[in-house]
Amino acid sequence: MPTLVIDNREVTVPEGMNVLDAAKAIDIVVPHFCYHEALGAIGSCRLCAMQFLEGPVQGVKMACMVPAQDGMVVSTSAAEAVELREHVIEWLMTNHPHDCPVCDEGGECLLQDMTIAGGHYLRRYRGKKATYTNQYLGPFIEQEMNRCITCYRCSRTYRDYCGGRDFGVFGSRNRVFFGRYKDGQLESPFSGNLVDICPTGVFTDKPFRFKSRIWDLQEAPSICPQCSLGCSTIPGGRFRELQRIRSGINQTTNGFFICDRGRFGYGHVNHPERPRDPRVDGLPVTMEEAITAARNRVDALAAKYGGASIAFLGSPRASLEGNLLLQAWAGRVGSSQSVFDAHQGRDHAARSLAANLASLARSLSDVRQSDLIILIGADPLAEGPSLALAIRQAVRQGSEVIVIDPRPVALPCAHQHIPLPPQLLHMVLKALESGQYDELNDAQTQPAVKTLRSKIAQAKLPVLIGGADMLGGLGVKLLCDAAKRFISAECNIGVMVMLSGPNSFGGAFLNIGGPDFDALIDAFQEGRVRGLVCLESDPFREAQFPAKAQAALGHLELLISIDCTPTLAAKRADIFMPSRATAEMAGSFINNEGRLQAFHQAIEPGMPLSALGPGKHPPRLFQSTTPGATPQPAWQILGQLLDRPADLNQLRRTLAAENPKLKALTHVDTTAARICAEPNGIAAALTHEMFSADSSAGNVPLLITSAFVGSHWLSHLSSPLKALREEPTVWLHPSLAATLGLKHGERAILSTTLGRCHVRVQTSNDMAQELALTYQLLDSALEGMSPGTIINCRLTGEEGQ
Amino acid sequence: MTLWRDIKGTLQPFWITLGYLFQKPVTIQYPEVKRTPPPRYRARIVLTRDPDGGERCVACHLCSGACPVDCISMQAAEDADGRRYAAWFRINFSRCIFCGLCAEACPTLAIQMTPDYEICNRDILNLVYEKEDLLIDGCGKDTQYNFYEHAGIGVANERGRNQDEYGPVDPKSLLP
Ligand code: SF4
Ligand code: SF4
Ligand code: SF4
Ligand code: SF4
Ligand code: FES
Repeated sequence: MPTLVIDNREVTVPEGMNVLDAAKAIDIVVPHFCYHEALGAIGSCRLCAMQFLEGPVQGVKMACMVPAQDGMVVSTSAAEAVELREHVIEWLMTNHPHDCPVCDEGGECLLQDMTIAGGHYLRRYRGKKATYTNQYLGPFIEQEMNRCITCYRCSRTYRDYCGGRDFGVFGSRNRVFFGRYKDGQLESPFSGNLVDICPTGVFTDKPFRFKSRIWDLQEAPSICPQCSLGCSTIPGGRFRELQRIRSGINQTTNGFFICDRGRFGYGHVNHPERPRDPRVDGLPVTMEEAITAARNRVDALAAKYGGASIAFLGSPRASLEGNLLLQAWAGRVGSSQSVFDAHQGRDHAARSLAANLASLARSLSDVRQSDLIILIGADPLAEGPSLALAIRQAVRQGSEVIVIDPRPVALPCAHQHIPLPPQLLHMVLKALESGQYDELNDAQTQPAVKTLRSKIAQAKLPVLIGGADMLGGLGVKLLCDAAKRFISAECNIGVMVMLSGPNSFGGAFLNIGGPDFDALIDAFQEGRVRGLVCLESDPFREAQFPAKAQAALGHLELLISIDCTPTLAAKRADIFMPSRATAEMAGSFINNEGRLQAFHQAIEPGMPLSALGPGKHPPRLFQSTTPGATPQPAWQILGQLLDRPADLNQLRRTLAAENPKLKALTHVDTTAARICAEPNGIAAALTHEMFSADSSAGNVPLLITSAFVGSHWLSHLSSPLKALREEPTVWLHPSLAATLGLKHGERAILSTTLGRCHVRVQTSNDMAQELALTYQLLDSALEGMSPGTIINCRLTGEEGQ
Repeated sequence: MTLWRDIKGTLQPFWITLGYLFQKPVTIQYPEVKRTPPPRYRARIVLTRDPDGGERCVACHLCSGACPVDCISMQAAEDADGRRYAAWFRINFSRCIFCGLCAEACPTLAIQMTPDYEICNRDILNLVYEKEDLLIDGCGKDTQYNFYEHAGIGVANERGRNQDEYGPVDPKSLLP
């Protein structure tokens, strides 16, 4: 812990911290560009000069390149250093275009700030400026190369941190260019981080282009609702439209970066078909009337058939407060039928995790520091993209990564892939736990698992990573059991499992030992349950076997939906109440490591002004109400229904009082503590029902998984992301493709019990041999295919038809 | 002494008033007679055009940001040629205090104050001016400046063809 003096103030900082950060620690900020906490120092912008007066180094030095040491006396205001900074910023500005008024960075531009902070007010250079030709970089990123100050932050982010390969630096001397070799869409799923990281307006957010200035945006710290990792985000909106999302900073979770699904997946908030008005039996009513109707009809049904005749379906994307109140409603009518994920496998996985995780929980920050990462049945880019980024950081520090998964798992880092068929995953987990390899009769798997065991035993901070879709409840339990087996003084092993939504863990926590959706389906069919309340959930689409669920849901007498998106449940509901999207409300989620995190309200709901059409000015009439502003936070709707406090903090206090395990709710912030359940005998009930295929005559087992974009409801509704949506595809191992007479790139017909559709055939050596693989794609012929299942299919070439 | 002061205080103002009786009056019989304010008078705001007739405003939001009463709002948009312009632009003159901060902030000389002070109206909505109402057919006080002749985004001329620019560099060149 070196102690040094900066501007006559003494400061003690951790070993290895540079002087620039040391100064920041006591709120002395010197202009700088190229240094970034996540990217490190390279000393390329030459701006962070400080005068070192005494100590081991002396003279004017770049503060970001000097580690803080004992006895240093540093001045940031010494004339020589100030003058150097002034000159450097002036050089950086010589070629800078006269663009601020038309530059989207304006107002949040580090260059503007640092130019002024560096003391450069007046342009002296009157000569000509260099210019560049821009590239087309796809639908997310706009490039304006003239504005570059060659700090190299972009290439360090894209290539070094995110592992992208199709972007870099070209040229020499004053012709340095940052871009792709050729025009084209950036391939990295983390490309959006260029917007945050570039200190100038070279890379700006394309969907947000010319929409607003930062001083007009309403922003607030929030949590990404697109997957279970709970990355910190800052949504910003204006004129009742959510216009962009940028990355928040949370060192324990995402760090400084987020994935493109999280960044550009906000379209559901502004969706043109979003239901904004309460309805009872198809007729528009006020929110109060809808709430009263909901309460009365549920009570009437309960009076007639008993409380157990009503089921309550919460959801992984509803806030913890909302889900808690839904459960309270169930309690009030005397129903124990509350479920928090319609997808059986995912629900079981979440519950199993909530019950077994305990001290095995690891955060993304722990993953970044891990020295051995083993993924079993996990595909981060599909299930929790920022995890892939965390894994890459571990690899950059020397960690080894081993992936055991039937899919051709793509990671932005070096890894070893063992493509085992899904049914072997549980056996591998058992073998890992027990050290008995008999069940694994495969000649390659046995030694591989043996090596794995010895590697884990030797590692210091290994992390086992799983995914809900592939492991299910049983698999997650096996994963935790396996991890527990290795705990020792030297081996601090942990587990991370990617779940289906931002609050999967929260829902599972509330319903550890309760019924599951399959039980409800039977009850619908048998008429034991006659009413269903859906909180931001859509059993018609989200159930693991949607066809079966849809048939059963037809028996319902009463369907109530509270939602902020145009789900089938919302469309078909007898009573509908519009709720708010994450960015429009405050609440909290429990992420996949059991971390309770709060989010704040960024914007007010309402029909976006942009819905009027391009170029139309706002209407010229006075109105006391905002069009489309009826939606309320789901917890508020339910709170009103149950006569609970309307104030969130008060509500949290009462909820915490009722659920002692949720004490943390009373002081929840964006970095709150972890919450875990106690295992209470649920594991036995958790089956894993994905293997319903038989590989008899001509049938090929088809494993269904999710894609980066297109399988997740919220991001599916986002128009900026449409560009990333793949066409319907089937992946095959070349050997299976040869047997079926199909070639890479060909079109084929996929027939299953769910129907027939046209697909593109892709082959990969890097996947399990005996099965076909496809992604669920919502609003396509592949919509009914629910991730985490295996069904029979037949594949024939289109020509053969 | 107080008495003497009171007498003086009573008579002196009358004396001054009397003095003014014999001077030329400054009062103007408005609205029959109208006075021409000086050119820098700050009243009704206009949006001007550049010498080529293009809209000067680039919808940069600096005027709305500077406005102390928040009476300017707009939405920026992009033309086919890359020009940033205001899709709509609105000033609520019922709120405007004619401080001139917007004109001072404007980097393109688009928004300017004019001496036209006669904009009172009985219907407050008539004081909400849209872009069509604000845009005039001239350059206003500056007849030369064209922002896009200096910006680097290649609108007035092709990229690298503005007077103060070199043509685009070739980053793939290996020449020293
Ligand atoms: S990058 Fe910053 S300084 Fe450069 S034009 Fe844009 S806003 Fe202005
Ligand atoms: S493009 Fe941006 S991040 Fe990259 S070097 Fe230039 S200024 Fe830095
Ligand atoms: S990794 Fe998940 S939580 Fe993080 S930004 Fe991406 S979708 Fe959102
Ligand atoms: S400051 Fe000038 S250019 Fe910018 S929006 Fe206002 S009028 Fe338009
Ligand atoms: S920040 Fe130190 S040289 Fe750039």
